[in-house]
Amino acid sequence: MAEKEPTIADAPGGAVAALVAQFAGPDELVEAASQVRDAGYRYWDTHTPYPIHGMDRAMGIRPTVLPWMVLAGGVAGAAAALLMQWWMNAVDYPYIISGKPLFSLPAFIPVTFELIVLFSALTAFVGVLALNQLPQLWHPVFQSRRFARATSDGFFLSIEARDPKFEESRAAELLQSAGAVAIDVCRMPATGREVPTGVYWGVATLAILAILPPLGVAWYRSGAKKLPRIHPILDMDAQPKYRAQAFNPLFPGGMASRPAVPGTIAQGEMDENTALYLGKLGEQWVDEFPVPVSMEAVQRGRERFNIYCAPCHGLTGEGDGMVSQRATRRAEPNWVPPLSLHAEPVRVQPVGQLYNTVTNGIRTMPPYASQISVEDRWAIVLYVKALQRSQHATLDDVPEEMREKLR
Amino acid sequence: MMRPTATLRIHDDHVTLAALGARAFPLLAGIGLAALALAAVLGAVRGDGFSYFFHSYLTNYCFVLSIALGALFFVLIQHATRAGWSVAVRRISEILAANVSVLLVLFLPVLAPVLLGSHALYEWTSPAAVAGDHLLEHKSPYLNVPFFGIRCVFYFAVWWLITRFFLRRSVQQDHSGDASLTLSMERFSGPALLLFAVTVTFAAFDWLMSLEPRWFSTIYGIYYFSGAILAGVAAIVLAAAALQASGRLTMSVTAEHYHDLGKLLFGFVIFWGYIAFSQYMLIWYANIPEETVYYLARQTNGWAGVSLALAFGHLLVPFVGLLPRSMKRRKGVLAFWCVWLLVFHWLDMYWLVMPNYSPDAGPPFGLIDVALLVGLVCLYLASAVRVAGGEALVPIKDPRLGESLALENF
Ligand code: HEC
Repeated sequence: MAEKEPTIADAPGGAVAALVAQFAGPDELVEAASQVRDAGYRYWDTHTPYPIHGMDRAMGIRPTVLPWMVLAGGVAGAAAALLMQWWMNAVDYPYIISGKPLFSLPAFIPVTFELIVLFSALTAFVGVLALNQLPQLWHPVFQSRRFARATSDGFFLSIEARDPKFEESRAAELLQSAGAVAIDVCRMPATGREVPTGVYWGVATLAILAILPPLGVAWYRSGAKKLPRIHPILDMDAQPKYRAQAFNPLFPGGMASRPAVPGTIAQGEMDENTALYLGKLGEQWVDEFPVPVSMEAVQRGRERFNIYCAPCHGLTGEGDGMVSQRATRRAEPNWVPPLSLHAEPVRVQPVGQLYNTVTNGIRTMPPYASQISVEDRWAIVLYVKALQRSQHATLDDVPEEMREKLR
Repeated sequence: MMRPTATLRIHDDHVTLAALGARAFPLLAGIGLAALALAAVLGAVRGDGFSYFFHSYLTNYCFVLSIALGALFFVLIQHATRAGWSVAVRRISEILAANVSVLLVLFLPVLAPVLLGSHALYEWTSPAAVAGDHLLEHKSPYLNVPFFGIRCVFYFAVWWLITRFFLRRSVQQDHSGDASLTLSMERFSGPALLLFAVTVTFAAFDWLMSLEPRWFSTIYGIYYFSGAILAGVAAIVLAAAALQASGRLTMSVTAEHYHDLGKLLFGFVIFWGYIAFSQYMLIWYANIPEETVYYLARQTNGWAGVSLALAFGHLLVPFVGLLPRSMKRRKGVLAFWCVWLLVFHWLDMYWLVMPNYSPDAGPPFGLIDVALLVGLVCLYLASAVRVAGGEALVPIKDPRLGESLALENF
């Protein structure tokens, strides 16, 4: 092959931008690449239809920094996730969920894991593009007609004119001696290379279209609107079921709720022990706990209180729970801030009445019988009593040996 | 530039065990049998109706079994994906997998006592324990001795047939060079993977999860599977490194193969952590007593240390350790991590089984555990030497061998 002089094709145009040389096959290209590498060029590349083993070494390409970038991305993802969750759950909106601590590592791991993956993947994606200087809308090698074969069966090597060592005749000589079978001279286009105006119009149109949805959201969210709100995701707002007191033509009388069959008791409603189940003896609220009182029960009550009651009543029962604060701030028309559980009218209530409040709710407070078992309801009442006492303790409540310290 | 061709390099390589097999077999088998005998004596001396012996045996058995199952999965997935890179190490995994035949025999000390009416291992085998226990009565159509035995036979039959099929075909190709054998192995790898998934899941349920018959976790099978893959791939790496140290396969297995096996190890370290944490978090979050008992037992009375050791030794430390490229490309370093992972995988099996034996007294450990581990591993290796026989340790006529030998990681 070496005996045949390569053809050098040149076409009219601007200044020389690059030389593209074609080689007979992969082995020849690898060999040529090591020669160009040794000649000390910087802005050059090889183009082949498939990856060639040994090419990295022949070209003197050092290991990429991409893994380090991805590692940094992953660490940033972990840090961002933990900071975000700590800020949201433990600082900005401290809301006890399922009785877990406000900063609860196991619960935060899934989000942390996902953000590590997301940040690493995005870093890898953007990093690959950036390290390869993509997207690139124009490159001088595409001036060569022959070059199209780089994606099918051609093996090419290009040297760009922006390389500080570039000099047309010396570079061509190097490529010739390295065994090029053909060399194309690629020139800057004579006409310049402005982006067609159509592209600007396209981008502008897309940008305007992209602004519309956020604008719409902002408009709908600002101030009161007469129209019913748009409901793209129904969640469980509309369910195909009958609500209590609703009309149902299937049943006589049109009542959706069916009355109990006379003489039967529904499961779980056998409440003969009225003191336990209703907090009442006859018409009187019970004043004594119908369940054993123990430290264990108080602890259980505290846990349940923090889960079920604290969102509205606050951890101390002052009425400053997150839900109440937020509803007050938003001036929700239906919200009645709960009374402090330490206020006189609540403190004087017998335990049976407190139990009844939890079971059946009161005025605007919803009932909790369906979520909290009877034992847990009593445990909560027990804890409420302990809370109340803690805020109105007298010296008599303090153990003798400790009293000295307080005086 | 000359490119080495596949036949050239294989021709120059030592690819059979040759005399090494004849020397290693009696030694390994002897040590193995002696160690098992010692363990049996130690178990009898304890005077606890062999309870400790059986629990420790199950721990070590499940450890060795997971190597064979992990290797089997490796073989199947290579065929299912028509992988070329792994051909050079595929025979090693085929042998490790087909060696499940010795595990069939070694399972008898677990199965026979159950069939003969011992309740040392599984509480649900005792009618007295089941009677009046609503949950156990409810599960008894599944958890009963005859059905347990039938299922065990089924698992081993499936494993035996699959592993034999893939080893036989592959060895046959060594002699005939028939490329259609590769196609038939690829075709059967899909159904075989399905059977593998079902049998491993239920074997883990039956042999390990039923130790605590009231408790259940649907992810349990995958948990055992994820550890098994780690054990299998680690064993493949160690086997390749050992064979190379003995002067075999020095040209066919390269840093590129170790690199790719290391990537698989790294991936499955995370996979194990993902599965282990998925099981833990749901139970921790829901906080339902009948589920939390499992972790409660593993967080109290000295077991918390073992749990933490697993979190660090099985996940966090090897995650960081296997992360750099250089760790996976150097044979010695990768071999270190394989030993590390096998140690913690053993601890994982211990953590699954032993809290059931000693929930209150903390993690027990004794000479008997060492003896059983040495015994089972040696017998497994001795049998592997037999399975390998005089055949090549590389599928020398696999149509993709050239691709594997020329493997290069970019
Ligand atoms: C969704 C918010 C919310 C939750 C959760 C909630 N409450 Fe209330 N609670 C209220 C509101 C609001 C009031 C005041 C109702 C009113 O006066 O209209 C109230 C009032 C009370 C009262 C005073 C009743 C009275 O006689 O004036 C008690 C006692 C009480 N709650 C106990 C509890 C306990 C115990 C729990 C936990 C099981 C609980 N609440 C959970 C909102 C809540």
